[in-house]
Amino acid sequence: VNWKDRQNPDGGWAYSRGCSWTEPTALVLLAQSVTGFEESSEPGLNYIRSAVRPDGGWRPQSGVDESTWVTSLAALLPADTLGGDRYESAIGWLKGQTGRESGWSYRLRQRLAGNRDDFPEGWPWFPGAAAWVVPTSLGILAFERARRHSGDAELRTRINAGRRFLLSKICADGGWNYGTNRVLGRDGDSYPETTGIALLALHGAPPSPALARAKAAAARHLSRCRTAEGTAWLRMGLRAHGEKAEYDLTPVLRTNTDAALSIIAAAERNPFLT
Amino acid sequence: MTNLTRRQAVATGLAGAALTRCARPPRRFPVTDVSVVKASSYGPAVYDIIGRLLTEHRLDLRGRRVVLKPNLVEFDEHTCINTHPVVVHAAYEAFRKAGASVRIAEGPGHRRGTLDLADAAGYFSAVPRFDELFTDLNTDAVSKRDIPSPESKLTSLYLPHTVLDCDLLVSLAKMKTHHWAGATLAMKNLFGLVPGGVYGWPKNVLHWAGIPESIVDLHRLFPRQFAIVDGIVGMEGNGPIQGTPKTAGVLVAGSDVAAVDATCCRIMGIDPRRIEYLKIARGEENLGESAFRQIGEPIRSVKTDFALMDAWSGIRDSNARGSGEAPSG
Repeated sequence: VNWKDRQNPDGGWAYSRGCSWTEPTALVLLAQSVTGFEESSEPGLNYIRSAVRPDGGWRPQSGVDESTWVTSLAALLPADTLGGDRYESAIGWLKGQTGRESGWSYRLRQRLAGNRDDFPEGWPWFPGAAAWVVPTSLGILAFERARRHSGDAELRTRINAGRRFLLSKICADGGWNYGTNRVLGRDGDSYPETTGIALLALHGAPPSPALARAKAAAARHLSRCRTAEGTAWLRMGLRAHGEKAEYDLTPVLRTNTDAALSIIAAAERNPFLT
Repeated sequence: MTNLTRRQAVATGLAGAALTRCARPPRRFPVTDVSVVKASSYGPAVYDIIGRLLTEHRLDLRGRRVVLKPNLVEFDEHTCINTHPVVVHAAYEAFRKAGASVRIAEGPGHRRGTLDLADAAGYFSAVPRFDELFTDLNTDAVSKRDIPSPESKLTSLYLPHTVLDCDLLVSLAKMKTHHWAGATLAMKNLFGLVPGGVYGWPKNVLHWAGIPESIVDLHRLFPRQFAIVDGIVGMEGNGPIQGTPKTAGVLVAGSDVAAVDATCCRIMGIDPRRIEYLKIARGEENLGESAFRQIGEPIRSVKTDFALMDAWSGIRDSNARGSGEAPSG
């Protein structure tokens, strides 16, 4: 991939075309972290560094004055390239984010209504909303990275809660969708990309029947997946659990995120885990 | 100070809220035209029908920037979740021939790979140069817009430039039941304008802000709209994704989008006065049959009861009972 040709003048990358966003820019930089940083890397890193907000989180796009889930992606970039202070601010911002359903007022209302569910703390896409599978998976991966360099017990607590959140959202078919496994008593179907990323976030989790079913679901999805994003996350998720990640269909790379994730999935070293 | 029990406090609050709503002066809306046209299949006739609909509604389209917003949610070859690709292409051709500059745009709420989804749903094969004509609203450039007098808990929203900059927004919706809103038609279809790149997948801030209220707030942010609802084959039961195909054999269209939705409800055997977002948008008193001028097929000739989930049995049009198919759970 010629990343320089696809790069915007501000140093960032679009999802496919148009303005730069933090997510594709961070994923391109993660891909470059395994293939080798190049001429386009420094402008890309400058774009990421400029997206940090005064509250310590990252904006998803320059036109947005809110910090969101993309802060997890910034925290997954090599800390030395991001800058130590920025890295710490990302982790600090993420510590302050939980799904609204695990807040005390929501839990209290649910208890009063007779609901005894656990509501483990995951991460939302956007502050003040509920936790969902993708931002929780990326939050776990970012905190796993941080924990390797820190004795902070809160990191471990949030990782465990995030994993409980993921396990509570498994669909009847064994995989994950965006995070609603049942609606009005009906089972939801899992998706390839969310099954792959959740499985990746559960790497190192103790073996369990649920995990075995999740790996089987991921293998099923991979055998028929036609999207580059889905294929890439499934390969990463299965390999993180020591499973084979063979696939026959060659998906079309439609976006910069597709291209970056495909490079990461094919690499020996997974930058989400190391 | 009087000590209220929790139940009394809740009852007092609800009564106050009800009185506040009752205290609103009655709203009046002009009587608008809603077209109902029979269409038995997704064949070539759909192109003629949509062309005639634009003529019928006398839309001034020459030189206008038009955005067609289909309902693209999921793809499952065994059912009919999305606006049919033939309807999308027919609308594209009709607006283009009328002199408009046309883009197709959508931001699905669950799936992040919008282009993969569009391909699977048949949009690439049905619409020549689809990739060039299409904008993924989840990842378009955005600007913040304040919501004047919001009905929901939202005070502002980031919205994509492609829709903020257009002259006419066309909601190309699918006629479906919906497990959270009762029905999803042209107004609910606008949830796809909210950028996933900012708010995530799903766009959960809208749920916490109140689904019916958010539908109305989004609708009011776009005063220049037209709606075409694909009811040739809709979805009944556990919509908007896991329901069952339901042939209604109609296209419903008009510039008054709430009127289009109310008409669709009647065709589906649903009382529009029991759909919360329509009540908020217009008030029950403006949802009666006489509130709109029907063009084309009379409702009774195309009405077919859509099966409703048990949780939504209360929205069944009482006039519908005994006619068409029996409501089912």
